[in-house]
Amino acid sequence: MLQKKICMVGVFGTGKTCLVQRYVHSLFSVKYLSTVGVKIDRKEVRVGSQTVSLLLWDLEGRDQHHDINPSYLRGAHGLIYVVDGTRRETLDQLSELRELATRTLGDVPSVVALNKVDLADQWQLDPADESALAAAGQHRVRTSAKTGEGVEATFHWLAEAALGARSA
Amino acid sequence: MAEQLRDTAEPSPRTSNGAGRAAELAQLRRLLVGPEQRRLAELAERLDALELTPDALAEHLPDAIALRGSRDAQLGRALAPTVETALRESIRRNPREIATAIFPVLGPAIRKAIAETMAGLVRSINRAVEHSLSLRGIKWRLEAWRTGVPYAEIVIKHALVYRVEQVFLIHAESGLLLAHVSAPELAVPDADLISGMLTAIQDFVRDSFRPAEGATLRSFCVGEHTVHVEAGPQALLAAVIRGQAPDDVLLRIQDTLETIHLQFASQLADFSGDASPLQATRPLLSHCLETKLSFEHSRTPPRRAILRWALPLLLVVGLLGAWWIRAELRFRRAIALLRAEPGIVVVDASRGWWRLHAAGLRDPLARDPATVLAAAGLSRPVLSGEWRPYLALDSGMIVARARLLLGAPPALESALRGDTLALRGTAPLDWIARARQATLPPGLARLDVGAVEPVWPEALDALRRSIGESRILFAPGAFDLSESATLLLRDVAARFSRLIEAAAAAGGVIRLAIVGRTDPSGTSETNESLARQRVDAVAGRLASLGIDSALFSREPLATSQPLPAADAEIRARVNRSVSFVVSLSIGPITPGGR
Repeated sequence: MLQKKICMVGVFGTGKTCLVQRYVHSLFSVKYLSTVGVKIDRKEVRVGSQTVSLLLWDLEGRDQHHDINPSYLRGAHGLIYVVDGTRRETLDQLSELRELATRTLGDVPSVVALNKVDLADQWQLDPADESALAAAGQHRVRTSAKTGEGVEATFHWLAEAALGARSA
Repeated sequence: MAEQLRDTAEPSPRTSNGAGRAAELAQLRRLLVGPEQRRLAELAERLDALELTPDALAEHLPDAIALRGSRDAQLGRALAPTVETALRESIRRNPREIATAIFPVLGPAIRKAIAETMAGLVRSINRAVEHSLSLRGIKWRLEAWRTGVPYAEIVIKHALVYRVEQVFLIHAESGLLLAHVSAPELAVPDADLISGMLTAIQDFVRDSFRPAEGATLRSFCVGEHTVHVEAGPQALLAAVIRGQAPDDVLLRIQDTLETIHLQFASQLADFSGDASPLQATRPLLSHCLETKLSFEHSRTPPRRAILRWALPLLLVVGLLGAWWIRAELRFRRAIALLRAEPGIVVVDASRGWWRLHAAGLRDPLARDPATVLAAAGLSRPVLSGEWRPYLALDSGMIVARARLLLGAPPALESALRGDTLALRGTAPLDWIARARQATLPPGLARLDVGAVEPVWPEALDALRRSIGESRILFAPGAFDLSESATLLLRDVAARFSRLIEAAAAAGGVIRLAIVGRTDPSGTSETNESLARQRVDAVAGRLASLGIDSALFSREPLATSQPLPAADAEIRARVNRSVSFVVSLSIGPITPGGR
């Protein structure tokens, strides 16, 4: 079976862990995030006739004291950036995160998960923000940990993209 | 100078002795620049050698191979695939050639392999037998049975020195799992997640402690498990070891990682998530899996072991022995009792653990064998066996059978004398008559009832009493019968006739004693004569009334046994009389009877 290492990065509190919790196979507890700084889960995705095993490295969220640990990014085949749609500053920090990841990894497929879309009344992103991402060639998906919206689509898109990168 | 020389040495066509000059010049050249020319030629040769011409390679290759081979095993590993391909190709083209070449080594090699396999088999059988039969083996089996843990696990728990349980080959950069092997009974469904986390922990430790360049987390311990990690440039090899592994195991892990880097260099370099090309490393990884057990450390010193077990063993043997002896004694006593019991013949007897088996012959009148044993307090062990009926001829059984057959009254005593059963006591007259007519059981020829006193049937007894109470009275000195006496005698005769008939029907014989008395007056001679005359008168009258006089006995007592009476007058009158005593006896034996 094909395996792909996917890293999930984002600012602290964007709901990365909650987003995937229900959709993945877990062996390790959430405690690992705050101790080792990473928690690894597995998600199997079918792409055409192939099953791809995504090893999801859920990296501890970035805050003002801790940056993302670049060691954990090494060898990743894809990235999920998680942005909290109800906190605009998490989008503002996206470029820094992307810069760090690109420095470590080079150009790998990535998707921006605009999370907490279920909280429409608190939504702080405007269409222009999403257009800007699209213009920069950045794929994005609106997601919700609460309703599960966009989660499978995110995995699926990334698995396909990682496979495409491999065949290129 | 060379220019000058060449100019000088150049032969002129015009010179008459040109050939001779050329030779001289050549000699001169040899003398002057010969060493330089040779040096130049050598240098040219060396320059050629630097380009590694086939000649030079052919000259140095053996030395080079020997030199590298003495340093490490890399050359062998590098050559191995090529040699394998060459061999495969050679065998494909001409198998006979290879077969011929290896024939001399093949035979001994096969013999050696078989010998080693057999030795291994014998060792494992010895070990299996030792562990199955030893106390420790039984203890471990009990523990396995009690806890539900497989026996193999219990053995490992107690005898494990070390065991390499799992080996992970991990892509160094991404932490993705390339290959994984584990001990047969271990199921590791999430090896890929563990692989990733092992890499993350490596990164975590490196980032946290900032060790020297290239340093990695080599090992960590969790309980009785140690995870040993060997890091290579492309891949990590992580071995999960239970117990304490010696250095050569760690060296083997290191060696395996190096071999994988050498043999799978391109697959590792090209890895991008598809681990299938690296599944070929599994045999190398499996080679690292190993279990080492030791059965020496927990062995109790033999003497202590013997002491510890001797006492309970002796106790058990002693108890068993005592039980056995007691059972044997009871068995013997039971059989002796049965043999002594009348009507029982023991033909076959044996003793089981809980049962006593006895079989043979038993007279239907004999006591039940179990009852015989129970009466002697031997209700255990339970008696089993088949008893076939027979007629016993021992005296007790003959007597018992005869009594049963005759329906003898319990009060009647019996004794066997030879083939005669003698009875004594009282019995009803009719029973005596029947017994005398009955067919006797086997073992008896005769029945003696002479000592049996017949008991009168009620009706006969009443007649007897009435006759006995009758009294024929006479006048003083007279012996003639008065009219009333004649009437009374007629009545007595009638009753006596009935009595004779009834007694004869019951097998008895009646006798009538006619007793004559007188009063005390007169002389004894007179009285005796008078008494006889009175008896004769009565007997004569009875005979005339049809009574057989053979049944009479005449007893003229006169005054010798007077009848009592309070008054002298009455006494005299009562004794001037004739009275009767009726007796009953067993009749004569009829022909054919006994």
